[in-house]
Amino acid sequence: MAADSAAGELITAVIVDDHAAITAGVHFWCSQAVPPINLIDAGDRLADVWTGPGAVADVVIFDLELVPRRPDFGELRRLVDSGRRVIVYSQHTDDATVIKCVDLGALAYLTKREGPEHLVAAIRAAARGEPYTAPSLSGALVADDSPGRPRLSQRETEVLRAWFVSSSKDLVAAKLNITVKTVDTYIARVRVKYANVGRAARTKSELVGRALDDGLITLAELNQTETQL
Amino acid sequence: MRDTGEEVTRAQLRHGLRIATLLVAVVTVFGLGLTNLMRYMDRYESPLAQLTALAALGAVLAVEATLLVRGRSWNRLRGPAIVIVLSASALSYVTLPDGRTSTTVDWIFGAANWVGIVVLLDRPLRTAVSFLLAHELTALLNLLLLDDPSRGDMARFATGSVTVFGFPLCLAVVASVMRGLSAAAAISRREIEQVRIAEVVAAESHSRRQQRFVELSATTIPLLEGLADGSLRPEDPVVQGRCAIEAARMRRLFAEADNVANPLLHELRHCIDVADRKGVVVELDARGRWPEPPVAVRRDLTEAALIVLATTVSRARVTVTGSADLVSVSVVADCGELNMPSPATPGVQVEALNNDDTVWMEARWQPIRQLAS
Repeated sequence: MAADSAAGELITAVIVDDHAAITAGVHFWCSQAVPPINLIDAGDRLADVWTGPGAVADVVIFDLELVPRRPDFGELRRLVDSGRRVIVYSQHTDDATVIKCVDLGALAYLTKREGPEHLVAAIRAAARGEPYTAPSLSGALVADDSPGRPRLSQRETEVLRAWFVSSSKDLVAAKLNITVKTVDTYIARVRVKYANVGRAARTKSELVGRALDDGLITLAELNQTETQL
Repeated sequence: MRDTGEEVTRAQLRHGLRIATLLVAVVTVFGLGLTNLMRYMDRYESPLAQLTALAALGAVLAVEATLLVRGRSWNRLRGPAIVIVLSASALSYVTLPDGRTSTTVDWIFGAANWVGIVVLLDRPLRTAVSFLLAHELTALLNLLLLDDPSRGDMARFATGSVTVFGFPLCLAVVASVMRGLSAAAAISRREIEQVRIAEVVAAESHSRRQQRFVELSATTIPLLEGLADGSLRPEDPVVQGRCAIEAARMRRLFAEADNVANPLLHELRHCIDVADRKGVVVELDARGRWPEPPVAVRRDLTEAALIVLATTVSRARVTVTGSADLVSVSVVADCGELNMPSPATPGVQVEALNNDDTVWMEARWQPIRQLAS
């Protein structure tokens, strides 16, 4: 699998978060991970993401609300536009904020309630340029009823809902009588659909390109979602 | 209906009294007053002043007639009207021939009092009395200051005063008594209403308590009886589980009476709180918007979570997902063997999945099918 090929080289991530305790916690999780992940602490200084060691980190872990109640979508957009792989890490769980981050091209959205099992997995996925969908994001995608949302199949919705509810892919697979790999495929398809309707960012084009290569989505399906808009 | 009927009757009575008073005043001023004025026209020092006084009284009566037709009250015009009446009688007295106070020549003595009462009929009794006293005083001052009264003059003034002061006073007293009666009736009616409301509220809350007791009696009472007579041992884990379930059910029952925006989540939080206190880590997450389910459906939806949480060992995840046509409450927890709850309402389905030591129980409610059936 792709994870095995990535395991050879050390992943570097930079975290921007004004809470020292959060940074310390993430640092601990990264050092305990096998293989460990090298974490650079930028504190609340966004400049350290653009210059110095932070500038070459594989993954950016971005606290959306460095200023309370003012989510910094502009900075997220700039990071994505310059080809960075971004994980949004926020206390916020309201669906509109979550969906907006995905639309802007964040590869993962994690709430701070979601622990190392999701954060470490999300960092590894992002380092490969792949999206990671944690249960909270899955819940937001199910509840998304904005007019521009992509049309999901009934099975995709079922998988998303079950993943949000159980937060265990084994349980989802057992409940829906499918394999864990199929569960992942359905979730990945949903993310590709979202990437397709969102802004044309570099990481997103990569994402759609890879989905086409892997057969997750066909050209016909791509055209179908576009005509629905 | 009865109350509005009373109100109409009372308003009609007040209206009738007002019309009667106006008629009496018109007859007194233009019948008696004008007749006397015309008859002794040649005796007055200034007939013009007397006619002016009469016209002033006539004007006040005309305004009252207009107000009466329009169904309005004097309000801010009342003060000026009284000033006009008193000025008219002062004018009349100043130009009255000497020694004629309270004779037929003194036409205004028996006329201005009625005009004043017309204006002050809906005011408190003391206002009417004050006006009548002021009117009497005007005549008395005229008698004492401008004339040199004999005993006969004083006696005539005193006899005249009985009718001039007494009759309008009777009318003012009647009006005041009527007002007092309607005020007392309104107060007692309000008191009766309050007592009735209190009775209904008490009956309602009694029946609600009764209902709650019935709901608890099926499960809680046998448990308490078992604990009391020693047939159930508190150290038995099964008994402890049942206690936790009953505690959560009672919490939920109390929470059902709360007035909150999202009752389902509110009651679910109360169910979770019991597990929280046992040291179970519970996550609650909700997504989507859903129509508010009725109480019976909410109980069925929360029952699954409540039973699972009562036997959960360390951690649980409770989620609510909703849309217009599906509301689902799910619990994923590490708990042992448990009995599936059987939903009481037809639109609710409960499914359970066991995977190793993890249980996933989900209760679903489909509002649209519920309405269609």
